Amino acid sequence: MLLPPSDRRTFLTRTVGALGVTMLRPDISDLLPRLQGPPIRLAVVGAGRHGRAIIAELQKIEQVQIAAVCDTSPSRLDTAVGRATGAEGFADHRELLARRDDVEAVIVATPTHTHRPIVEDVLAAGRHVYCEAPIAATIDDCQALAAAVTSATTVCQAGLLGRSNPTYRRAQPLVRTELRDLVSLAGHANRKTSWRFPASGGSSEGEMNWRLDPEVSTGLAGEVGVQQFDVAHWFRREYPTRVSGRGAIRLHQDGRTIADSIDLDFTWADGITLRYDATLASSYGGQYELIRGANATIRLAWTHGWMFKEADAPTQGWEVYATRQEIFGEEGIVLIANATQLAAQGDLESGVGLPHPSLYYALVDFVRSATEGAPVACPLDEGARASIVAILANQAVVSGQPVDIPAFTA
Amino acid sequence: MRFAIPAMGTRFEVVLFAGAGGTGHAQLRAAGEAVIDEIAYWHARLNRFAPDSLVSHIVRRRGEPIRLDRETYDLFADADTVWRASEGAFDITVTGRAHLIKLDGSARTITVDGDDISIDLGGIAKGHALDCARARLEDAGVTAGLIHGGTSSVVAVGRPSASSRWRVALGPDAGDDVVTLADAALSLSDPAGQREVSGSDHIVDPRARFGRPGAARPTERVAVIGPSARLADAWSTALAVLGQAPDTLPIGYDARFLPGLVGAHPDAAAAI
Repeated sequence: MLLPPSDRRTFLTRTVGALGVTMLRPDISDLLPRLQGPPIRLAVVGAGRHGRAIIAELQKIEQVQIAAVCDTSPSRLDTAVGRATGAEGFADHRELLARRDDVEAVIVATPTHTHRPIVEDVLAAGRHVYCEAPIAATIDDCQALAAAVTSATTVCQAGLLGRSNPTYRRAQPLVRTELRDLVSLAGHANRKTSWRFPASGGSSEGEMNWRLDPEVSTGLAGEVGVQQFDVAHWFRREYPTRVSGRGAIRLHQDGRTIADSIDLDFTWADGITLRYDATLASSYGGQYELIRGANATIRLAWTHGWMFKEADAPTQGWEVYATRQEIFGEEGIVLIANATQLAAQGDLESGVGLPHPSLYYALVDFVRSATEGAPVACPLDEGARASIVAILANQAVVSGQPVDIPAFTA
Repeated sequence: MRFAIPAMGTRFEVVLFAGAGGTGHAQLRAAGEAVIDEIAYWHARLNRFAPDSLVSHIVRRRGEPIRLDRETYDLFADADTVWRASEGAFDITVTGRAHLIKLDGSARTITVDGDDISIDLGGIAKGHALDCARARLEDAGVTAGLIHGGTSSVVAVGRPSASSRWRVALGPDAGDDVVTLADAALSLSDPAGQREVSGSDHIVDPRARFGRPGAARPTERVAVIGPSARLADAWSTALAVLGQAPDTLPIGYDARFLPGLVGAHPDAAAAI
């Protein structure tokens, strides 16, 4: 079993007899989705590291034909065309939209500060659009995109992955039904990397390292934190009202001004807080979130999720399906919904993690919305609001001053 | 500058020299991290134990053609080539069922037939990751570096200096054979190596399942050098099983069987 980075060092598994922790395992139809809609021709704009991952996951979706890829770097474009069987390469997204009217949907995976004009062009061309998060680097751009969506007739999805992750979907209703009184939230994102990329493919070092450019970067809060902040927004169904933060360069003293380590405190109107930290200086702990309640605490780590119940919490009927485990020093049970079906498909043998990365599920949701009319997993205007929260959090880090968050409707 | 990552059941390490190719410290670190990211990418895609890997997806969708990117297709195509050329001594199904893996070059798909087939890319996955890692290093303009996966698979990029080559010892002791490399890959297959650690064989003869003549418990220790780590890894595994070099080693590849006792073959470095 391969555990996510957050849990490699702490995971213990053995059969035990006590009750305490519940593994959050979604239904089989969510884990291994099969789409029913017609084939769809897609284009991917932005063929960098994330574009590569997107192409790899799209190739796994039967209904998808990657008809075109687009990148301003000739060598990256050439590589991307080689990775996407049958795709035509374009250096400019406008030419792609003009020449390939058979392309029904576009995935935007360019640097954050370049999203807005591309998304606007895609919407103007009447195509479905999936935009990576954060969806823009400024509040103005986020608001402009949110406004553009209101008149769009096509699917507009933000790439906020928790919304599509089957484990997170399994956990979301439990926050209300199982935790009883919410106590607090926490999020952590720990990696050891310089966040610097070598110049290649005809792109200069500056172009490659836009994340380190204070003129356009949304920092760790934006580029990493937005995914986790959105989980809190989604679970709570409301946005925080205030954020304070600090940042420092703890390891990468290479002339950068963007903090490599940040701490944030979000506060909701009802006094609930989210404590968040992210660093590029240490990988210990990986990326995970904690939702602490009076009856139970949920720990989510993107490929895995557990619920640790308090000893005095009532036992629910669905827990009778649970397998027992010890994890993080807590003895308890593992829940596997639809265990019979999973066992029949051999999935139980492959471990407790998801059979696909979160990105795959987000792309499946997008295709399902575009071809079957399913509800959009995370509409672009919700992505805009999450992005604004992240941008304001970055402002709090940069200024060292608390920042008020405007009232949104969740 | 050194970088490391646990992947594919072992530890990959990258060694770069500050100033190599005129590269500054920050740029060199970025290049080294790009290499580590590349290895992590392939670990995630090719790990048969991870439910979210591409290999698990291919096996789960048995009977269906699965589209592959060019790099992954080339990996499976090389595995198929070595399987055929070695008459089944190298087999990514481990159980002598590689004939149930169908590749379609025009559609660039793979289809796995058979109900209980599994895919274990083993050493060829390590070699593939090293080849891709080397490409990332070259993309970044780094002209000298050494990357290894678990010390048994090594890729030498350029030379440490104009007049020298990378020196790689074929064992942990001072007297062990040493090979010198420049822009080349080395793979060492030693059936006894893992046995000493885990007590079980990590190289098995896939043909033994069918009682084919010549099938036996592999005992030969063999080193293969060539342009590609992927092919060097596949061939060193095949030769460890075969116990002898066939006539079909690709052009540019050299193999040498080594005595079981490390360091006992004085000509190994020169010969290879």
